[in-house]
Amino acid sequence: MSLTDLRDELAARLGRDGIVTDPAHLRTYECDALTGYRVVPGLVALPRDAGEVAVAVAACARYRVPFVARGAGTGLSGGALPVADGVVISLQRLRRVVEVDPVDRRATVEPGVTNLDISRAAAKYGLYYSPDPSSQQVCTIGGNVAENSGGAHCLKYGFTANHILAVDVVLPDGTATRLGGDAPHQAGFDLLGAFVGTEGTLGIVTGVVVRLLHTPATVRTLVANFDSTKDAGDAVTAVIAAGIVPAAIEMMDNLAIQAVNAAVDAGFDPDTAAALIVELDGPADEVEARFADLTRLCAKATGVTIARDAEHRAKIWQGRKAAFAAVGRLSPNYFVQDGVVPRTRLGEALTRIAEMGDEAGIRVANVFHAGDGNLHPLVLYSEERGEHERAEALSTAIAELCVELGGSLSGEHGIGTDKACSMPLMFSEDDLATMRRLRAAFDPEGLCNPGKVFPTPRLCGERPGPYRPHPLESAGVIERL
Amino acid sequence: MRPQSLAELRDAVRDTHGTLLVKGAGTAEGWAGAPEPTDHVLETTGLAGVITYNPADMTVAVRAGTPLTALQRELADAGQRISLDPARTRATVGGLVATADSGPLRHSYGGPRDLLIGVTVVLADGTVARSGGHVIKNVAGYDLGKLLCGSFGTLGVIAEVVLRVHPLPPASRTVSIPCDATEAVEHTGRVLEARLEPAALEWCDGELLARYEGVESSVELRAAATPGGTTLSVPDAEAAWRRVAAVHDHDLVVRCGTRPSALPAVAKHATSLASSAAVGVHTLAATDVDRLREEFTQVTVLRHPPAVPAWGEPHAAVPLMRAVKRHFDPDGRLGPGRFRPWF
Repeated sequence: MSLTDLRDELAARLGRDGIVTDPAHLRTYECDALTGYRVVPGLVALPRDAGEVAVAVAACARYRVPFVARGAGTGLSGGALPVADGVVISLQRLRRVVEVDPVDRRATVEPGVTNLDISRAAAKYGLYYSPDPSSQQVCTIGGNVAENSGGAHCLKYGFTANHILAVDVVLPDGTATRLGGDAPHQAGFDLLGAFVGTEGTLGIVTGVVVRLLHTPATVRTLVANFDSTKDAGDAVTAVIAAGIVPAAIEMMDNLAIQAVNAAVDAGFDPDTAAALIVELDGPADEVEARFADLTRLCAKATGVTIARDAEHRAKIWQGRKAAFAAVGRLSPNYFVQDGVVPRTRLGEALTRIAEMGDEAGIRVANVFHAGDGNLHPLVLYSEERGEHERAEALSTAIAELCVELGGSLSGEHGIGTDKACSMPLMFSEDDLATMRRLRAAFDPEGLCNPGKVFPTPRLCGERPGPYRPHPLESAGVIERL
Repeated sequence: MRPQSLAELRDAVRDTHGTLLVKGAGTAEGWAGAPEPTDHVLETTGLAGVITYNPADMTVAVRAGTPLTALQRELADAGQRISLDPARTRATVGGLVATADSGPLRHSYGGPRDLLIGVTVVLADGTVARSGGHVIKNVAGYDLGKLLCGSFGTLGVIAEVVLRVHPLPPASRTVSIPCDATEAVEHTGRVLEARLEPAALEWCDGELLARYEGVESSVELRAAATPGGTTLSVPDAEAAWRRVAAVHDHDLVVRCGTRPSALPAVAKHATSLASSAAVGVHTLAATDVDRLREEFTQVTVLRHPPAVPAWGEPHAAVPLMRAVKRHFDPDGRLGPGRFRPWF
């Protein structure tokens, strides 16, 4: 059997401690943070450097064994779900910060370095790495590249794709190459841009060059309470209409606030229907002038708290970023959803989500990046009470609602295994076939993280189903030929 | 052929045989390798106009043949803009994506790749495909829009794009710091370390220009606080930024990407140079492209006399570019001659 031969070869090339074969240990790799899907891999490789990653991938290619790259396993869409009888290639041992260059404002790191450790390494130069996913203390930069991770501050500063200068990649046939360059000008196609966010399906990243930014001169943060999510949403609209681009605008509804308050003392008002966290950063005069506008635009707020100092601000963000985990205190089980609607349809989306929750008899807490319409409904349920299927259906329906409203199935968590079967709601067969051409150019054998992103008959059922109008067509946003 | 709708464009590609040159306003016709004579020329200028624009969503969907300046005028009525300021003022939006062109605003906003959130493309076999969508934050599916940036019409015909928009700044000021290319690196570091956040920071032939955008009081203060700088009057500022754009008017124009600190090394190969000094993207009237290519990898020859080859030694990712080309355009219909001798 090919896996046995592969195991022997990798044991010889990577050493006994370079692979994992015992079943109990293999089980720890069976899922990422989307724990509902579990597959025990046939083998785990633990390469120590880029060369060993290439050795592992080349061996997989030779034996035609599928492989899946894995960073910290914090992904929320099952992007690192193993393939049965396949190999997981863990990047956990590639965790060196190779260089921080304060003159050219960049860092060269291995893929297993955590997002936050890049900023820590850069801090002594007054620099930082901008994208800040809520899991930044543990998630790795390699995973961020795979998922094109966002975070609260990407409204102003952009996503992972906007902050990567180059990646060293082991392609699915085991050859190593570099995409990108020393600056954001590439001679030829933007293969770097095409690669970032492909969820580990085009190759394995073994090195990353990230841009570093100077920390802003001034940061001002406020928390504004509102009587309804609608009032809070109106305030967001007013801020955007005034031409302000905040570093972040986040919204939490009452249920989310209750959860956060139980976990972290961040000082959120437990009685408010909705709270906005708005942060402005930049040069002092610019920020002060805009902050004055901002407080005026929050006229309907029932209360406004302005962060006193850096410590207070950190507390507010700690609360916000703890929201997902904190919900565990309100409910024994929950799904974290991730969808996007055009910002102007936030109110409609929230109303519909509330109705759908009521109908299903299931509570939904809402935490979201209000500035860019990225919703994170938390669907609260109990396995014990047998609510799993109902909750899962509701969670999926919410993501699909986002598409119906002209938005997207995912803003930052990825499609992975979780949403592959929903992709036909957002993309036509031709759209997906065209994306597959890119995949085929990188991975003609289809060995690199198979079964992710694209719907497959095995995952989604044999029949593709009859033609249905694309939701954007129905909404009059697009037209078919 | 000059199709007037997506359906006509699809038919024009699907129902013809032979090679095709995609042409927008024709402002970058000779860039990146002179195209060979083709069986058909497909003009995109009939595909013009905004499809959907909702200012509060900060996005606009537009047909690819729309000139950027026309789009900017429409957005300005709502107090918004596309934060893209290429030297080619007549260029179409689709052409700017296909050439990955940008101007000094790349310092804060990047280029087309960073502003493009959705695309509709017609492939060489007539397949119509979309990727991305109408929302700024979106990770569903592959981002084909970025793949098309810098593809120079060789992977597909860009039919429609969805772009991110930004608010028009209420005020702006330009500061000039006279300096040579070596000093420019130091001045750039100082401006960034002072956290003055210029919207553009461009060194051009003996001066570093910092443009501040924002509220009136703030741009005034930031301009005054710029170390070693003099605030320019409005006409002087306009003239200075015209000089930056005029670098494109030479006979041999090259764009290359380097570490920002390599600016002096790049300047040695230029008779005229506009450089986004903090970014490391340079546009230059080059003296000797071969010498430049010996030192730097990411070099794109924009305008060039026929004797100068557009591309040098293939870089590490060229084999992948070829594989992508094979899968998107297996018969080599689109833009033959571009990227020669790479493919």
